[in-house]
Amino acid sequence: MTERTIDVDYVARVEGEGACHVTIRDGAVDDVQLRIFEPPRFFEALLRGRRYDEAPDITARICGICPVAYQMSACHAVERSLGLTLDGPLRDLRRLLYCGEWIESHALHVYLLHLPDFLGYPDAMALAKERPAAVRRGLELKKAGNAILRTLGGREIHPINVRVGGFYRVPTLEEAATLRPVVEGALALAEETFLFASTLDFPKIEFDYEFVALTHPDEYPMNEGTVTSSTGLQLPAERFEEAFEEVQVPYSNALQVVRKGRGSYLTGPLARYALNRERLTPRARALATEAGLPDVVRNPYQAIVVRSLEMVFACEEALRILDDYRPPEVPYQTPPHPPAEGSWAAITEAPRGMLFHRYRLDAHGTIQEARIVAPTTQNQKRIEDDLRTVVARSLDQDDRHLADACEKAIRNHDPCISCATHFLDLTVDRGER
Amino acid sequence: MHEEALLRDLHRKVLEVAAAQAATRVRRISLWVGALAHLTEEQLRARWVETFAGTLAEGAQLDIEHSLDPEDPRADKIVLTKMDIDLRHVEGSS
Repeated sequence: MTERTIDVDYVARVEGEGACHVTIRDGAVDDVQLRIFEPPRFFEALLRGRRYDEAPDITARICGICPVAYQMSACHAVERSLGLTLDGPLRDLRRLLYCGEWIESHALHVYLLHLPDFLGYPDAMALAKERPAAVRRGLELKKAGNAILRTLGGREIHPINVRVGGFYRVPTLEEAATLRPVVEGALALAEETFLFASTLDFPKIEFDYEFVALTHPDEYPMNEGTVTSSTGLQLPAERFEEAFEEVQVPYSNALQVVRKGRGSYLTGPLARYALNRERLTPRARALATEAGLPDVVRNPYQAIVVRSLEMVFACEEALRILDDYRPPEVPYQTPPHPPAEGSWAAITEAPRGMLFHRYRLDAHGTIQEARIVAPTTQNQKRIEDDLRTVVARSLDQDDRHLADACEKAIRNHDPCISCATHFLDLTVDRGER
Repeated sequence: MHEEALLRDLHRKVLEVAAAQAATRVRRISLWVGALAHLTEEQLRARWVETFAGTLAEGAQLDIEHSLDPEDPRADKIVLTKMDIDLRHVEGSS
């Protein structure tokens, strides 16, 4: 026996979080299972026993790309227990913070995860080598979104300046003025991105989606609105669980959310756009018309176009808020009464789609139970339905090409699963001996 | 939060290296953990035994060097640095 020491120097990678199992029988797709291995993280359990005002900071740690969404849904839910509704500059600042998150998250998804698929590159690193200007444009946009997050949130990832009732500190007029040229530059880049994305070559495919998003009578939804479905459902955010339920499937660690009695649905940019197009800014609407983007986009590959359009909107909305900004006298509103015992819920629009939070508080404002329903779990079932059709159209291809087609179909919808599925482990059971 | 995926990747790489060397056993595995890797030694050790159970690396000693330098270019990474393996002695080999 000989003993030897091997120098390996291998950097471990986070990948293989997603797998897809396809069953084909008699030349037709029998089943598609999208398997997510990310183990449970127990955030809902972690929140039990914590004070109501700790929820925004704790839940912000759930996602490094959309921490603002978690903070906003948590704030709005617990503020209902306090009888608190934000208005004026504080409400606007929250919207501005959300604009920052939409810009940085959409830029990441569009340029680093999705665009390489349409230009024939395996990933953003390969794209950067041959088309550095495109990736630079994406990074500039991301930087602008991050600048908003840093100014309002105190830092770019997992902001620390948000609190129940508002902020710990609000920007000075000078700080707001410093942001303006950054966002103005981002708007030009976002328009360029949108016009470029509109010219991409998309697979010809459309789905009869049930779109679900918040709608608001006066604005494109971010922090507030009514849960609305393209099939006619309308209900207040706090009654979300009456119409939607989480189900567990044996092959995946991630829960799936379905509309009760109906099945899968889609939340996120395509749904927001379909249900709120008229509340985009006039410039964003004009761009959409100019590019020939239909009022309802049912081709999931065109999500890259809608995401780009939402970047244009978010930049314009950020500029409007910055131009109107007058620092409030105090950085947060004082609630009219202590937290009331009961169950309090809210939904806000994360870049990926609706994010539901519900907290059951006792008479002292201690969290007894928490429930968080992320957009990723809401779209999971719908992604499987998309994959069924995509696989059916690619049955004659070998497993490597099939895996490629599945990865692309998944990247249409979600940056988190997209990141993990750049290395999708596809198994195909063709029923052959 | 990604310890499961990282361990799976390390598991794959360790067994790949072992197979490439025609190892009969993996005795020791050395890891370098960056200061910003968001993974503690405790987390790694907690899952280590079951990750390698039933493989050539079952019972292998785990050495962890935890870097405290956030400026290190690989501060957010975990690096599999070395492996000590047993090789079957072949007649005529040195």
